[in-house]
Amino acid sequence: MPTIILDRSRVTRRIKISDKELNEVLFSLKAESKEIDRQYIEVEVNTDRPDMLISEGIVRAAKGILGLEKGEAIYRSRTSGLTFNVSRVRTRPYALAAAVYGLELDEEGLRELIQFQEKLHATLGRKRKKVAIGLHDLRKVGSDSISYIEVDLSKKFVPLGHKEEMSVKDVLVNTEQGKNYGEIAVSGSSMPAIVDEKGDVLSLPPVINSERTRISTETRDLFIDVTGTSFEAVAETLDVIVANLGEAGGVIGFVDVKGAPVTISPLLRHTEVKVPKSYVNEVIGVELNEDEIVEHLSRMRYNTQRGDSYVKVVVPPYRVDVISEIDVVEDVAMSMGYNNLRPEIYVYYRKGDTDLRHDLISQVRELLIGAGFLEIMTFVLTHSSLLMGRYAQIKNPISDYFNAVRNSLIPTTLSLLSSNQTVSMPVKVFEVGEVVISPCDSDTGYCNETRAAAAVMDSEISYEDIQAPVHSVLKSLGLSPRYKRTASPYFIPGRVALIMHGSEEIGILGEVSIDWLNRLNIEYPVAIGEIYLDALLRVLKGKRD
Amino acid sequence: MLTETERRILEHLSKVEMIDDLQLSSSLELPRSTVMSTIESLKLKGLVNIEEIVKSYYEVTEEGERRLREGMPEDRLLKMGRVEIPKAKERLGADFELAVGWAKKKGWIRVENGVIVPTVNTPMSSEILELKKIKADPDYAPDPDIVKTLQLRNLVRRKVVKRLIIRITSRGIKALEDSKSFNYVGNLTRELVISLRNSGGSVVLKEKNVEAEPPELTLGRKHFFREFLNEVRETLLEMGFNEVYSGYVEMEFYNFDMLFQPQDHPAREIHDSFSVEGFGEIRDKELLDRVAKVHKDKWKYEWEPGVARRLMLRSQTTATTSRILSTKPLPPARYFTIGKVFRPDSLDATHLLEFHQLDGLVLESDYNFRRLLGTLKEIFKRLGVAEVRFKPAYFPFTEPSVEVYGFIPQLGWVEMAGAGLLRPEVVQPTGVEGRAGAWGIGLDRLAMLKYGLSDIRDLYSNRVDFLRKMRVEL
Repeated sequence: MPTIILDRSRVTRRIKISDKELNEVLFSLKAESKEIDRQYIEVEVNTDRPDMLISEGIVRAAKGILGLEKGEAIYRSRTSGLTFNVSRVRTRPYALAAAVYGLELDEEGLRELIQFQEKLHATLGRKRKKVAIGLHDLRKVGSDSISYIEVDLSKKFVPLGHKEEMSVKDVLVNTEQGKNYGEIAVSGSSMPAIVDEKGDVLSLPPVINSERTRISTETRDLFIDVTGTSFEAVAETLDVIVANLGEAGGVIGFVDVKGAPVTISPLLRHTEVKVPKSYVNEVIGVELNEDEIVEHLSRMRYNTQRGDSYVKVVVPPYRVDVISEIDVVEDVAMSMGYNNLRPEIYVYYRKGDTDLRHDLISQVRELLIGAGFLEIMTFVLTHSSLLMGRYAQIKNPISDYFNAVRNSLIPTTLSLLSSNQTVSMPVKVFEVGEVVISPCDSDTGYCNETRAAAAVMDSEISYEDIQAPVHSVLKSLGLSPRYKRTASPYFIPGRVALIMHGSEEIGILGEVSIDWLNRLNIEYPVAIGEIYLDALLRVLKGKRD
Repeated sequence: MLTETERRILEHLSKVEMIDDLQLSSSLELPRSTVMSTIESLKLKGLVNIEEIVKSYYEVTEEGERRLREGMPEDRLLKMGRVEIPKAKERLGADFELAVGWAKKKGWIRVENGVIVPTVNTPMSSEILELKKIKADPDYAPDPDIVKTLQLRNLVRRKVVKRLIIRITSRGIKALEDSKSFNYVGNLTRELVISLRNSGGSVVLKEKNVEAEPPELTLGRKHFFREFLNEVRETLLEMGFNEVYSGYVEMEFYNFDMLFQPQDHPAREIHDSFSVEGFGEIRDKELLDRVAKVHKDKWKYEWEPGVARRLMLRSQTTATTSRILSTKPLPPARYFTIGKVFRPDSLDATHLLEFHQLDGLVLESDYNFRRLLGTLKEIFKRLGVAEVRFKPAYFPFTEPSVEVYGFIPQLGWVEMAGAGLLRPEVVQPTGVEGRAGAWGIGLDRLAMLKYGLSDIRDLYSNRVDFLRKMRVEL
């Protein structure tokens, strides 16, 4: 979840509230706060509420839940006289723009605005891949017509934080932002850019702005460009930004747009959701009347219109999380307070069903413990070099070691023995666990199987050290196992057998080969057996029927 | 019953009638401390009498030792026969005066014109004879007159010691006789049991140091974390939930798409789950179409079936919940699954690449949020978390969404579960009727709290020693 750092006075000077109350309010708004020092707090905001990634958004929501302001906040707006021309940009075709006038940015306000931009990049912007935001000091733009175009990589400008002119290519190759974000937008020899009337670069989305239009505490009026790969996301992001600047006291300026699906931006788009009153009550499990529903909605900063059996909810432009009625219902529940909702007494009628598989697992565990084996739980993930036959290989492993899913318990049990050679002998261990085998008849081509492995490690080992306990376990389960000579690289030739029940293979056991002991750096001889519990289950079910 | 040492002491006492502790110690070659403690215990049983006596004896001095070696001065003088004084002086040196004095006193010599003349023939003084006897036997009682002379001449000195005089009692004799009919043996054997049964005899087993620590024995034991998972499982079964499973290798469709997570959702990025080579096959085409439609309509993007068919290691057991929904269960229904999930993470005290989750699903025609809260409260109550608190939350597939915090005495409020009513966008495409509540609980953290572990790696410890010694929780 994204976290933001706030100067708490930017909240508490707008709403008179103690630190503890602020905590509670944030808790009931899905957020969580932690004190950093006397001035700053760290707030964790849920990803569905990008509008709360800045003090203004938090204050707006808090005012509602505290009952200080209800219904949708009204922000001043006007026309800007600016024109934004969107031409064909192949990698990021969508762009919108807005102006905001009359801001008063102090140091903290400026820091938070830049933080807001970064957090939106990370969330709605999907690390700038989907959406990128450019913030400019409008007075420094010095032009009424601004364009979104492709520029050649040889085009020069002074990037933000630099003193010298650089070519676009230089920026992409030699700056940190260029290296991080250039690749997602560059197309052949061209790069998207926001330019003024004269063609001078104002920003190079999604990489960097120009030094020329840098915002500072002197900035009063902003020009905002939002570009990206999804028109929806571009429009939503711009709405979220201008609404919060409106909350900060700015006047939203509409820009004429050319070459886009709309002619004016920001869209400040409202949507309407018709919520049946009965739906609210049925979902939450309460009996609110219409007045109460409307009251809760207005505390969540919605304007509403009453219908016969429903309430029409007007969703403000910044509430990009509202997809359907159910989202509005959640807001009613939040306004009521989750902890004020009396949990219904849990009612149940009968014990749940499980299957024979689990009974078998329990019995096998009991029997192996009776045979003196210590239960272990090893990781399902292991290294592919320890596996034989087909297995699920991880395409994007995070460590050199864990790059495959085990298809047998033998290698993970041997790994464990390898790291336990200094304890008192003998070491007798077992695991009942899942492996993944392939091919198999499932829609993924892979199947989980439950197996049991038991192993003995001692200064001297014989085949019977593992055959005897395994045999006893199987006989206790009512089976008459037979052993059939086989060969397997894990085992010493002539000291390994398949465990058979009739024609069904139910396991394998034997003495571990010297080659495998060496591979795993095991200095003691080991005997190991693996029982296939799924096969066993088939046999046992067959016997039952 | 006599111990081995007791029996040996009684045996010896029965032969000597009485003996002191020192003699006993040297005769039986036992440390004096063992003798002292054993006779004390014999005395308590009434098998011996102990009498403390003060005993005096004479000890030969160094002077006495010298005289024993060299002879008494007067004896040496007399052996010279007639002898001129200067010659006798020369031969006796410093002892000359003593020799002449004592010889005169005993009337053994006279002096005529500077010549010493013996008057008797037997030049052996009684002092030497007594000294020899005293030295040979510390208990020898010497002639009182001679002792006076010996002390006067600094040849002996008197010594006083305390001794324990031990005598066997009649009960002691009886006990000794009784014990002779027993055989002392080390370990009982089957042969011995049978032979004693047949012969009617008896044996005494040698005593062992029963208070010493035994050698280490390793037990076959259940794994504590597996036991915890079983307790949780039993709890859900008791509450009327049916147990279900699904595989580790999963299609993104069930792990994400069915759960209304858009294909460009950050949680679906490559570094947030493990991918597996290959594609699965979504066999229910109707379901596929409806899921595709809901993504297109609600998230407004081009949904790609190829992405949904990609294989991965499931990152949440909610994938199992998707699998259940895809079978169109009829309400009312309750399901749970406990299983491993996989996420690429750094391995540290709080993160592993694989860990356990519990996912639950309740489907009822009129299920509601308050009932879900009641279900969650009941689960946690049964898992031992009496106090819970609900926090609004966000998950892509539930609305309203809630996080459950449990109160843990030492830690305060700890986040324990994510839950919510499944969104209509999740339920409707499956064709399932009714409303559903779902939740996921991370079981590793709960187990760590229960077992007081601060490192998640201890739950999957590969250290046999740790598992052998792990305390069993009641």
